[in-house]
Amino acid sequence: MIELKNITKQYEINKNNTITALKDINISIKSGTLTVLKGSSGSGKSTILSLIAALSRPTSGEVIVDKKQISKLPDNFASLYRRENIGFIFQKYNLIPNLSVQDNILVPLIPNNPDIKTIEDKLHSVMKKFNIFHKKDIEVQNLSGGEQQRVAIARGMINNPKIIIADEPTANLDEKLSLEFIQILKDLKGEGRTIVVATHDPLFFDLDFINDTIELKNGKVV
Amino acid sequence: MILVPEVLTILILNGIFLVFSTIAFVISLRIYKNWDRKSSTNLQYNLEKQSVLAGTIIKYIFLVKLPLFLFFIFTLDKISNVLIGAMCAAGVVDATSYGIYLFIFKILNLYLFGFWLVLNNIDIQNENLPYTKVKFGFFCVVYFLFLAEIIIEILMFSSIDPSIMVSCCGALYSSTSTSYISSLFTISPVVILSIFYVNVLALGLSYYFKHSFSYAIFALLFIIISIISLISWFGTYIYELPTHHCPFCFLQKDYYYIGYLIYFTLFTGTFFALITPFFNKKRYFDISIFFIIFYTLIVSGYPVVYYIKNGVWL
Repeated sequence: MIELKNITKQYEINKNNTITALKDINISIKSGTLTVLKGSSGSGKSTILSLIAALSRPTSGEVIVDKKQISKLPDNFASLYRRENIGFIFQKYNLIPNLSVQDNILVPLIPNNPDIKTIEDKLHSVMKKFNIFHKKDIEVQNLSGGEQQRVAIARGMINNPKIIIADEPTANLDEKLSLEFIQILKDLKGEGRTIVVATHDPLFFDLDFINDTIELKNGKVV
Repeated sequence: MILVPEVLTILILNGIFLVFSTIAFVISLRIYKNWDRKSSTNLQYNLEKQSVLAGTIIKYIFLVKLPLFLFFIFTLDKISNVLIGAMCAAGVVDATSYGIYLFIFKILNLYLFGFWLVLNNIDIQNENLPYTKVKFGFFCVVYFLFLAEIIIEILMFSSIDPSIMVSCCGALYSSTSTSYISSLFTISPVVILSIFYVNVLALGLSYYFKHSFSYAIFALLFIIISIISLISWFGTYIYELPTHHCPFCFLQKDYYYIGYLIYFTLFTGTFFALITPFFNKKRYFDISIFFIIFYTLIVSGYPVVYYIKNGVWL
């Protein structure tokens, strides 16, 4: 269960200038559901994702994930929380272009320092699951957009996270690849994961497996 | 000023420590004044980030300073070779009026630095950072003691004149000298040993009942009685000379550097005992009793071996 209680988030540009990204919002996301955050650019979608992922802190209010307050975690504990709970899927994939597929995927494993056997097992499993095993030794800069997206998903899944956060995941994909991606999300939801997608892609809005759609405008829930 | 490589090393390190500890002091002061864990302001968030920087600086300075104490003793021992009359570190300590104060500061700081490191370790393992304000406030105080130590150290090394004759440890720790140390030798060894072993027993009982307050008090007494008994009785068996009472000579190669192990076990054991009232953890009781017993066995071992070999006491 993810709960955002009375969240306000302001970004300080300088001493006299602040931007309010979220204004006193309350959101509740049940475990194992897929929630879509929709709204135009600057509406606060990505800010909500960064708060859930403990990448930033609210100016006021609380973010509670599985009964644990994560909005006040010190940086090292926030990193641990992300590593253990969150899988990220970004709009621009955020892959390391001159590393191979498998090297990109195993990056989130590095802080845990697992043994080689565990790394190999996990790598094999996610690469098979997302159908990129046959490209494992190719540098990601030589892959198509859809393949890069699958590598990014595999990287997000390698630590078997409970929560998946996707920020405009289909912004760089054509419709066919977007539908493939949506199918992957459906499968991940079927595994019981909590998925939060921030998007303004209309393909997401009429899907039958979406549990909740939250529309944001100027930092408020509409 | 005596500038052997070891002294230069200490002075350069002091310079580095001074710069970084001053940076940490400024940050610590800001954290101590403004820390509010409940607040969500940018200031608090920045302080949390700065606390990581300051904590890391202090941690590594103190982590280096602890073994550097042994290097300091080693350096004094080394300098004794160039001072006329000095046979070991005792002569160097006595060569200037700063020596004894420096020693007191160093030992005091050793315990304080260790306490800060434990405090920091517990603090950063807890996501609520319960001791952050306390540890940086504590550092603001310790910083001045640290500063005093560095200043006295520089003064001491700069005051040493190799052309002036100094006293050797044989004179300083002689029963015929008129110093306050010589008065120790008037106390019967039976009395000193009785106090020493009763103290060990009291520590053992406090450990058994996990009574942290009495454990710390007996540990404090143990530091004093251990050093007295080492000078007046145990040391003579390390040297196998009834007239030699120096607490420094056994740091030398002739005695297989046993002094380093003796002081390490004494200081480590008593340190962990002293912090038990603050952090009542079984692990600290265990570590301290291990080193205290180890210390007791080492110092007791010398007279026992001597007696077995020679059939008499000194």
